Order: sequence, then C-alpha cells, then structure tokens
Amino acid sequence: MSSSLVARSAFNRNVAAAFARRSLRPLALQGAADFAYVPGGPIFRGSVNDPTPFPPPSKSHGSYHWAFERLLSAGLVPLTVASFVTSGTNYPIIDGLLGVSLVMHSHIGFDSIVVDYLHPRKFPVLGRIVTWTLRATTVGVLVGIYQFNTNDIGLTELIAKAWHA
Amino acid sequence: MQSLVAARSSVLRKSARGFASSAARAQATPLQKPVEKKEFKIYRWNPDEPSKKPTLQTYTIDLNQCGPMVLDALIKIKNEIDPTLTFRRSCREGICGSCAMNINGQNTLACLCRIDRNTSKDTKIYPLPHMYIVKDLVPDLTQFYKQYKSIEPYLQNDNPPADREFLQSPEDRKKLDGMYECILCACCSTSCPSYWWNQDEYLGPATLMAAYRWMADSRDTYKAHRMEKMQNELSLYRCHTIFNCSRTCPKGLNPAAAIAKMKLELAAE
Repeated sequence: MSSSLVARSAFNRNVAAAFARRSLRPLALQGAADFAYVPGGPIFRGSVNDPTPFPPPSKSHGSYHWAFERLLSAGLVPLTVASFVTSGTNYPIIDGLLGVSLVMHSHIGFDSIVVDYLHPRKFPVLGRIVTWTLRATTVGVLVGIYQFNTNDIGLTELIAKAWHA
Repeated sequence: MQSLVAARSSVLRKSARGFASSAARAQATPLQKPVEKKEFKIYRWNPDEPSKKPTLQTYTIDLNQCGPMVLDALIKIKNEIDPTLTFRRSCREGICGSCAMNINGQNTLACLCRIDRNTSKDTKIYPLPHMYIVKDLVPDLTQFYKQYKSIEPYLQNDNPPADREFLQSPEDRKKLDGMYECILCACCSTSCPSYWWNQDEYLGPATLMAAYRWMADSRDTYKAHRMEKMQNELSLYRCHTIFNCSRTCPKGLNPAAAIAKMKLELAAE
C-alpha cells in the first residue's frame, strides 16, 4: 500500500513536471500526445465547453449495489444478536449465514477502498492485481468458512471459545 | 466709519491664525484607535516561475485600518502592500461565490468570513484544496464547471403548457428550498476527500445537489433520464457520507441531505 502511494505521488509529480515543461515550449512544437487525456491530470477530456461524459449506466454497479450493501449492513445487526444468544451447534443455519454475510460485508468494504484509491482507470496494472487478489481472497475465505462450519466447531462456537479463553 | 473699519481689521489681524493650527485644545480630540497588527500568511505561486515551489508569504496589517472581513484584508494587502497578490472577488456580499478559499483550514467565502481579532494568532489563507492552481489563490475550476454542465442544469419538459406558464404547488416549490440557493462556489466539492481522490469521475456534492434540484422539480419530466446517468459506481456512489460538504457550506445549505435523498430515490426506483 505504502509503496503504491509513493509510486502514485511520483507519477503525479512527473505529470506536473511534464505539464510545466510543456507550457514553456512554443505552441508550434507541441504535439497531440502532449495533450493526451490523463485521468485526474491537468488535461481535460474535450474542450472547456464540453460536459464531462458519464460511464455507461448499470444498475448493478449503481443503485442495486448500494441497496444490497445497506440492507446487508443493517441485516448484520440482528444476525449478530441472534448468533450471540443461540449456539452454533444447535442453529447451524444462523452460523453459516453469519459467516457468509460477514465475508460479503468485508468484501464490499475492501472493494470500495480499491475503487477509491486504486481504480484501474488510474492504475491499470496494480488496480487489476489488487481487485483480483481481493476476489481470490474472498473466495478462499468462503471455502474456509464452509470447511470450518461443516467439519469443525463453527464460527459462533469459535468466538465463544476465544471469548472465554 | 473709516476709522471703525480700520480698527476692526487691526483686531482681526492680531488674532489671525491659519486653519491648520486651529483651536485644537478647544475641541474634543478624535479618539486614536490603537494599532492592532495581525499577520496574514497567504499561499503564493506564480505560473511565470513554474520551477519555484509555492510558498506562504506573510503580510502584516493594522486591523483598525481595515474592514471586518478577510476579503477586506486581502484587498487592503493588494492595494497597499503587494499588487501582485492574485485572487478572485466580485460582489463582496456572498452571492457571487468568486472569493471561495481555504481560510484557517476551512473552505469558505472570504467576504463572509470575519477576521479573527486575536492578533497573537496568524490567519492562514490557501486556495481551495486539491485543485490545480492558476495563480496564488485562483484555482482552476474548469472540471467543476464541465461536471455541472454534464447534469443538464436546466428545465427539460417536452410538453410545456401551451397558453401559460408552468404551475407548481407551494408544496412542490418547497422541495427546491435549500437547493436552488447554491451559488456554485465549489467550497463543498473541494472539501470532500472523495472528490480529492476521484474528481475526474465523481461529480462532487455541489454538482450532485444541483442534479437532485432538477430531479426534485415537479415541472421537469426528464427525471428518469437524469437518474439513469447516476447509475454507475463513480458519478454518485463515491459519496461515503463524510458530511464535510454540509459542514463547510458558506451559504448554510446541506448537500449531503440532497445526495442521501437521491440515493434513496434511486434505490426505490
């Protein structure tokens, strides 16, 4: 994370330096590449009078995603209380539901961080690596939770045990 | 008669004195205000010297020889100390939004911000944060205006009433209160961390409130079209309810509430 931040600021400095150099050169020497669009950079898309474009509309990236995220967060509250008052061995469904919801909730949270700070439009390589690492980790954790809940004591019992240890 | 005039003129001559040495002792002396020196540290950057790093320049002015607002101090500095100091200003009464800047860590309008009378502390003035700077306190708002244009900030209705103006109930009109007053000074957008990191795609609170102002207008029939534009992960949903926008707004508006209502309407669509 910190190394990527360093890389990012260095990238910004390079862009700014290039921009400064460019503005000192006579206009006739400047090529089209000098004015290529850089996301977040000082070069804008189109002229100053063009409105900024919108990404293609997709409800699954928009309102559905937001509503699901909020409902999941709200649902976790009663689910946590339910797991607290019951025991995992007697109510394996609640135990499994808690495990899956927690992982989904964490995945959405981490994904939001990646979109905020390492979006592939600005970090074509690093952004994709991080996105896919997160997806692989989430799948791995889900498999682990399934194994743990079916073959071992389960999530709720584990927390109760750690609590009393 | 002749002798009388001569006598009077001699009397006058004897007591003659210039106006400059007037009877000061006979009159009340005007109260001399004490000198209250205060330091203003102002961000300076000159595009003509791009290799020089931006610096804070200190100016000291007498608060008792200056108007009450930060804009008065800036104008005094520009008039009397340093004519190269550059900033935008126009109406000096908080309706044009030109003099938006970061004063003591808070985005606000210089014309609506009182000078802190505590002379032991300096006042720091920076341009709006995380924007490209044109010069000194002047940020480049091109992207901000391009984004405002992208939400089509005008009434759209394919079936306008043929013979009269649009009618609107008082309740419908009331929905626009608290949104139409926005003067687009960019204080809220540039205070938003999400806008700092993603301002090439995220619209920012000012533009989003303007977008909702047209969604909430009962006379506008393009609501579905306006809402569809927001259906992606970047334009609207980079808002993480940080509330810096509502906290900083120099007009006392609440962009965060408008964004929350927009999210709710999109989810309930």
